[in-house]
Amino acid sequence: MKEKEKKSIKVGWQGYLALFAAIILFSGIFSANEGWLKVFDFNTLNGAFGKIQSGAQALDFRGAGGSGARDGFLFSIELIPAIILALGIVNVVDGLGGLRAAQKLMTPILRPLLGIPGICMLATIANMQSTDAAAGMVKELVDEKEITDEERSVNIAYQTSASAFITNYFSSGSAVFSFMLVPIIVPIIVMVIFKIIGANLMRLYLKTVYKNHSQEGTNNG
Amino acid sequence: MANGETAEVKSKNILDLFVEGARRGFTIGTTSLMPNVVMAFVIIRILDVTGLLKLIGNVFAPVMALWGLPGEAAMVIIASIMSMGGAVGMAVSLYNADSLTAAQVTMLIPAIYLMGNPVQNVGRCLGIAGVNSKHYFAIIGICVVNALLSIWAMRFILLFL
Repeated sequence: MKEKEKKSIKVGWQGYLALFAAIILFSGIFSANEGWLKVFDFNTLNGAFGKIQSGAQALDFRGAGGSGARDGFLFSIELIPAIILALGIVNVVDGLGGLRAAQKLMTPILRPLLGIPGICMLATIANMQSTDAAAGMVKELVDEKEITDEERSVNIAYQTSASAFITNYFSSGSAVFSFMLVPIIVPIIVMVIFKIIGANLMRLYLKTVYKNHSQEGTNNG
Repeated sequence: MANGETAEVKSKNILDLFVEGARRGFTIGTTSLMPNVVMAFVIIRILDVTGLLKLIGNVFAPVMALWGLPGEAAMVIIASIMSMGGAVGMAVSLYNADSLTAAQVTMLIPAIYLMGNPVQNVGRCLGIAGVNSKHYFAIIGICVVNALLSIWAMRFILLFL
């Protein structure tokens, strides 16, 4: 089992570099920089729409005072470039092994924090980007008797809350990147922390509330 | 499986990877986000025109005050139970209507994903993994608790940033 673990998470230097670049890009560290370092900022790369002068105001193409489906449509057009850019960057980072690097760095912390075996880590990597694929991997682990039913429940409690958070956050979340008051990376950190808290609430539940019912059988899965 | 994937990915260069992700972004943006945002804007429009938005705002005001949010913010949390994209659309729509401030939207963002539309997730996450159905209630409860706690956490973070 241990060999399997080592095999499953292999990260080259590009992975760490890609992760580092992504953290810089989404942390907004260089957003206020006046020089060329500004290039390492997501919102700089995302740019701006041109303005249309209308009376005293300069409006973008959406104008002002719209409402309903039409306003919603134009607003979603405003969002799409950020989603295209964000998911393009995420795919590069993932392709270079950046998400694996993140997981590898976090594994020694996550394992004791979640109380699940290291073999689940590949599923938790998958969970950053896909709900279904990660859940499927967990099922496989149970079917192969690598993890127990309880470990599955804890892992899934971690996965369900903010599932596929990288994909979801960088797609719909891009809607608020321009006016959000915290760096883009902060909500991600908050989500991961609460995912861990959620898994531990599940452990607590299994140890306390559910323990009384455990005689009824735990193999219903 | 994973190793095969990596080998395949390594044969693509960075530009290909970017374009591939960008294409997925376009697909998600047009086929998922856009319909959700239009839906959210229409719902807000209906609520606004009928005066229900004000009513909801008043009804939920005492509850939402616990998180330092106006009653209208309840709409975002309710929407997140059904759709994350819809909830973000709701938040932005309320921001546009001056019902929520930028700080209040910021506070709600992690909550939207932590809630993670349990309506869909029961099938997609719990069902696929084959979780013991006795635990469904607990796991969904955890999502709700996570979401509500995260609003306080974000409020706390905003004090320092």
